[in-house]
Amino acid sequence: MHMTPMTYEKPKSASEAVALMQECGNKAKVLGGGTDLIVDLKHKPGIVSVLVDITKIPELQGIEETSDGLRIGSAVTYTSIMKSPVCQKLIPAVCEASHTVGAVQTRSLGTIGGNLVTCVPSADSAPSLMVLESVVTVAGKDGERTIPIEEFFVGPRKTCLEPHEILVSILIPKKNLGKPSFFLKAGLRKGQALSLVNVASALSIVNGKISNPCIALGAVAPTPIRVPEGEAFLEGKEASDENLKKASEMAVATAKPITDFRASLVYRNQLVKVMTYRTLKSCVDNQ
Amino acid sequence: MFVELKVNGEKRSADVPPETTLLKFLREHLDLTGAKLGCDVGDCGTCTVIVDGVSVNSCIMLAAKANGSEVTTVEGLANTSDLHPLQKSFEELGALQCGFCGTGMLMSAKQLLDENPDPTDFEIKDALAGNLCRCTGYTKIIEAIKDAAKNMRAA
Repeated sequence: MHMTPMTYEKPKSASEAVALMQECGNKAKVLGGGTDLIVDLKHKPGIVSVLVDITKIPELQGIEETSDGLRIGSAVTYTSIMKSPVCQKLIPAVCEASHTVGAVQTRSLGTIGGNLVTCVPSADSAPSLMVLESVVTVAGKDGERTIPIEEFFVGPRKTCLEPHEILVSILIPKKNLGKPSFFLKAGLRKGQALSLVNVASALSIVNGKISNPCIALGAVAPTPIRVPEGEAFLEGKEASDENLKKASEMAVATAKPITDFRASLVYRNQLVKVMTYRTLKSCVDNQ
Repeated sequence: MFVELKVNGEKRSADVPPETTLLKFLREHLDLTGAKLGCDVGDCGTCTVIVDGVSVNSCIMLAAKANGSEVTTVEGLANTSDLHPLQKSFEELGALQCGFCGTGMLMSAKQLLDENPDPTDFEIKDALAGNLCRCTGYTKIIEAIKDAAKNMRAA
């Protein structure tokens, strides 16, 4: 397959990238790892004539602990996250989610920011970042703005980004670093598979009671979603099997999956129930 | 655009259109045809090469993106007198059938053993998840990687 002729730009800063995107309009696309975009360009030649490669911009790099929390640059690859001792220690569910994406070669190129911006309902990095109440920083023509990650996702392949805006970084707030969190993915295979359903949970136990429980589901709605009813139900309760199972059933009530060629609605609902329970149970068992 | 890489220890360059993939760059501009064109969309892994210490699908990476990087291809495994231990084990244990996936398998295996000299079966399978063998000869490939790892640890 051949791609049509295009120009390749490598801006040195986020503001330079934003200016380029503004100047080129809809002829231009931001290039991250390219694991989705380059494939798209081969299937649909001519859709883009300028590629703006943002992966070498220093502000979009790095994994660092700051006074606000853990900051991950949007151009950081899944492989870098998986291998980062800081991430393994402080945000294990995000490492686990990163490990389930594609295969080794995909994870070497693919970036966490790219996964969020592509915004497919099954995006594997979304649920774990959602249960840790992450906030994303975006650069645009009027400077930077921050957005809670749930508001970032608007619909299938649609984020709240303006066409010229660039995702700069993701912040996992300090209060959630080290909080027990788990991620599970069900695919048709272990490698190179999209999620049929993915689930992440995070919760603490304070004086024998569940505190600040968070549940997020992927691939069962137009965007990744939280489970507010289940979370409200668990808050302040004992971490009994009965309560965890009740919350898992509430997750099924929140999920709105579809039947497609990968799995049926009924099967996806069953997965939501089982996987929500297992992620909650793992959080309880690993306090 | 002008792209310069260090390929298998040697500086190589060419002037190519910006939409040129790294795979095309290696095969058509540098005449390194070890990495193969399979699916062309990053699923099958037969185009696997190592760029700055990580294995990538060269069919979905632009050469422009790799500009200035160090690239290792299957041509960089053997030297003039000896095969790489992985190549020896693949040959001795019959790990290749039609052979089309072989160069990608070798590069993924090299990447694994560079980081983990004594991998478990699970770790080997995880490392090969992005390399498809249409002949389904996975068992012997896994055995060959374990054999090579053992020989490399003993050396």
